[in-house]
Amino acid sequence: MAEFLTLAEAGRRIASRDLSPVELLQDCLARVDAVDDKLNSFVTLTRERALSEAKAAEAEIMAGRYRGPMHGIPYNLKDIFETKGIRTTAQSKQLADYVPAADCDAQEKLAAAGGVLLGKSATWEFAHGGPSWDVLFPPCRNPWDLNKDPAGSSSGSGASVAAGMVLATMGSDTGGSIRGPAAANGIAGLKPTYGRVSRRGVLPNCFSHDHAGPLAWTVEDVAILMNLVAGFDPKDPACADVPVPDYTAALTGEVKGLVIGVPYGWLENDHPPSAPTRAALDAALDVFKGLGATIRPVALPPLQDYEDCKKIIAIAELFSIHAKQLRETPELFGASLRWRIIAGGLLRAESYVQAMRQRNVLAAAMQAAMRDVDVMMLPSGEPAKELKPQPPESLFTKRSYTTAFNVGGNPALSLCMGFDETGMPFSLQIVGKLFDEATVLRAGDAYERATTWRAKRPALVA
Amino acid sequence: MNDAPTPAELEVLAKQAGLDKLPAEYKAELLSAYTHLTAMLARLPHARPYADEPAHVFVPTTFAREG
Repeated sequence: MAEFLTLAEAGRRIASRDLSPVELLQDCLARVDAVDDKLNSFVTLTRERALSEAKAAEAEIMAGRYRGPMHGIPYNLKDIFETKGIRTTAQSKQLADYVPAADCDAQEKLAAAGGVLLGKSATWEFAHGGPSWDVLFPPCRNPWDLNKDPAGSSSGSGASVAAGMVLATMGSDTGGSIRGPAAANGIAGLKPTYGRVSRRGVLPNCFSHDHAGPLAWTVEDVAILMNLVAGFDPKDPACADVPVPDYTAALTGEVKGLVIGVPYGWLENDHPPSAPTRAALDAALDVFKGLGATIRPVALPPLQDYEDCKKIIAIAELFSIHAKQLRETPELFGASLRWRIIAGGLLRAESYVQAMRQRNVLAAAMQAAMRDVDVMMLPSGEPAKELKPQPPESLFTKRSYTTAFNVGGNPALSLCMGFDETGMPFSLQIVGKLFDEATVLRAGDAYERATTWRAKRPALVA
Repeated sequence: MNDAPTPAELEVLAKQAGLDKLPAEYKAELLSAYTHLTAMLARLPHARPYADEPAHVFVPTTFAREG
């Protein structure tokens, strides 16, 4: 197969007319044709449209109208991002025939930047319940090992980037749904600050915790995408009117003097990682120390407090979104999502409001903990496990390292931190202060430059 | 709060939520999920200062642009 290119590399070559957008698209389509019947990362492939867009990009560039680093780059969108004229299903039988009349904000921006939309990527049902075998499409698999879970809910986004079928994608993250798939598939994914990227036209999971954000092979690519999708949108009521810096300009490769906080209380008491994951984290921290950063502990409220707060809010909002369908056509939901929605109807308004009050307390505590550090670092999770149905109660019983940062609203990046003895990726999570994605991306990019992990692709496509 | 509701209590709760017409197998899901939910609710702090506002207060500037 053709060589793998990052978004940045492909953009530079397209800009210098050393690479044709049509050739790049054909390389991506060759990988789709070769492996996606095993991976199931696409639920809708827009082959003809993509070819048309790639030809148009090529003609524009040859005519001297180069738009920037996304011009002629193939990408996909998680299938909860509404796309005008293209089916948007949320992986659910409830929306099997839904064709939006308008594009979401992200699609408007990526299309305006000259991107080539190759299709819609697999998700968990409505970005929440999964993995499922009883919904509209089969679950996506992990390109590093087809028997392993690519994590969710932006499963197809993560897998398709890792397999080189697209160079960029957009996902959503309500409790870890960008960072989990980025981690499981060994790529980079950023949950921006709440309100940094518009969610207009993204089907909701839990309004108060939903974030839209980019995934790509490298942190540099994520920064390029953030330059395109970040910014105020008055049509998203949660979107923040805050200046957006140039994220690629922040990638200096320098982290000397950076102060890194590590929540050792979570890692040693609340939710200890496996020994290999802890060793991988310690090795990553050593890399940062070698680059001139310093490490210090940070103290946060108990992890369980964040989990409970988010999940109580989520179940109430989920029910409010899906109540009509739950009452009228419950059989069209997969069992996993239905189980996760259903008890929301029994939640009292008092509990929802109390959880919303608790959110402010926990979010404030997180900002206070970060006052004396530049970023926080911890794993995103464990390497991917076997892909199999999860007990529905795992929603309530499972702890994660990601959900707390949806409660706090802080930007959080997941990137590859090496590989375990079975070849599955480890993942590092870098958390920043509110609206300081630039420092998070700078740290992640410096780590990628200092390590060799980006040189390895899944054997399935290598 | 961790005690599972009786079938009669669950029927009342389900009716209030508009879920009383659900098929029987989904009622079992409802009971199972509700039991886990109550465990989380029991851990949620309820004693708060009077002025402790929730995270979804109304933000009028969001709508000022509409006028």
